Amino acid sequence: MASEEAKEYVLPPEVLEETVKASEELWKPVRKIKFRIYKYNPRKDYAPHWEEHELEVSRGMTVLDALLIIKGETDHSLGIRYSCRMGLCGSCAMMINGKQMLACQTRVLEAAGSGDVVELRPLDNFPVERDLAADFTSFFEKHRAVKPWIIRNDEVELNNPTGPYKQTVDEYARYYQFTDCIKCGACLSACPTAATDYEYLGPQALAQAYRYIVDTRDDGLDVRIPIVDTEHGCWRCHFAASCSDVCPRGVDPAQGIQLLKKLLIKRKFGLKPHKPAEALPAKVKAEKEG
Amino acid sequence: MEAESEFKEYYAKNMRGISGWFNRAYTIERWLYAAHRITGILIVLFVLAHFYSTGWHPGLWWDALLGIIVTFHTANGIRLILAELGFAVGKPLLIKKPSQRPVSIEGVQRYVVVFALVLFVVLAAIWAYYALIVQPMMG
Ligand code: SF4
Ligand code: SF4
Ligand code: FES
Repeated sequence: MASEEAKEYVLPPEVLEETVKASEELWKPVRKIKFRIYKYNPRKDYAPHWEEHELEVSRGMTVLDALLIIKGETDHSLGIRYSCRMGLCGSCAMMINGKQMLACQTRVLEAAGSGDVVELRPLDNFPVERDLAADFTSFFEKHRAVKPWIIRNDEVELNNPTGPYKQTVDEYARYYQFTDCIKCGACLSACPTAATDYEYLGPQALAQAYRYIVDTRDDGLDVRIPIVDTEHGCWRCHFAASCSDVCPRGVDPAQGIQLLKKLLIKRKFGLKPHKPAEALPAKVKAEKEG
Repeated sequence: MEAESEFKEYYAKNMRGISGWFNRAYTIERWLYAAHRITGILIVLFVLAHFYSTGWHPGLWWDALLGIIVTFHTANGIRLILAELGFAVGKPLLIKKPSQRPVSIEGVQRYVVVFALVLFVVLAAIWAYYALIVQPMMG
């Protein structure tokens, strides 16, 4: 019995053939695309310039794949930032034909549409580090500014936890959507308010502030109010919703900011979103463990 | 020297400035955002003249234009009040589709956009009727 289960599983030949064919189809060069790439090193160059590269692209090729080919074969000096290549790390956001997208999640042919030019620039409203890589220092500072962690007053429980904090699925649903943020910066880059107000906290940080404030385990509303309820905080947002439009992870920061405003107004009337969750009593835990 | 460093800073900072408000790449809300700010500034300018003499108004076609500015700001303002107080933006999701589009844009809010635009057209038409037909008749 056991030996039968351990037998190696082999794909039926027709399925194997189909798979190979599909993958060949996906990687077969189909069109020549011209890449216009922004080249600029603020420490050396007087002004940016554009460089053009032509490449045979296949249906499956992403913009990041193409950039790596260009970097490997024609322009070794090209500055790009990436790590995961699968839309999880948020390193590779850039302006692809004028819109913020992840290079690793956008296929070249999808970006080119019916045209045959793909224009690549570093993210708008971010200082340029080099070529297509933007400087995220102030972006991360803004993120840190809203205290993106659970704030609680029960030191004793925090330091010596007796059990997990209680939370129902409904309570989880209030903030789950915002936890998907990968800090790619696309939203801040797309925001028209950020284009004119350098100090605006931005959709990413404000959505994260909301994410922690409505987490039932958190008790940090009053700590965060002086941070978000300011001239450069949530009231600067006027719902252009471009942040949500470009977010590659469906975080919908615009929604978070508007809900945050609602919450702040409720707070002015003395209402709090929740009581901080209690830890599941140790007795229950002990009983469960039997 | 001064000009040169400013020139360099412009590219190094890569800030879009006011031109960043106008961008075809995004949804209609972006245009409404830009239009709302511009009409807001124009209304402030008119209010200054209005303070100087409350009876003053620019006259005929300009009156109609003033109507477009004011009614747009009003109608879109109603939409913004609803959205920014968190009433038209929907609820956070627990389950997302693989390429989830934002609920705050494509949910109820879209109907509110349509409502605001219709309201704008109706109010502007009424205003224009008074400015272009009723006012001149009354002399
Ligand atoms: S909210 Fe979306 S667009 Fe903004 S940083 Fe997070 S993942 Fe990127
Ligand atoms: S909804 Fe607010 S934060 Fe998002 S792009 Fe518009 S102004 Fe910026
Ligand atoms: S490389 Fe990680 S998100 Fe694109």
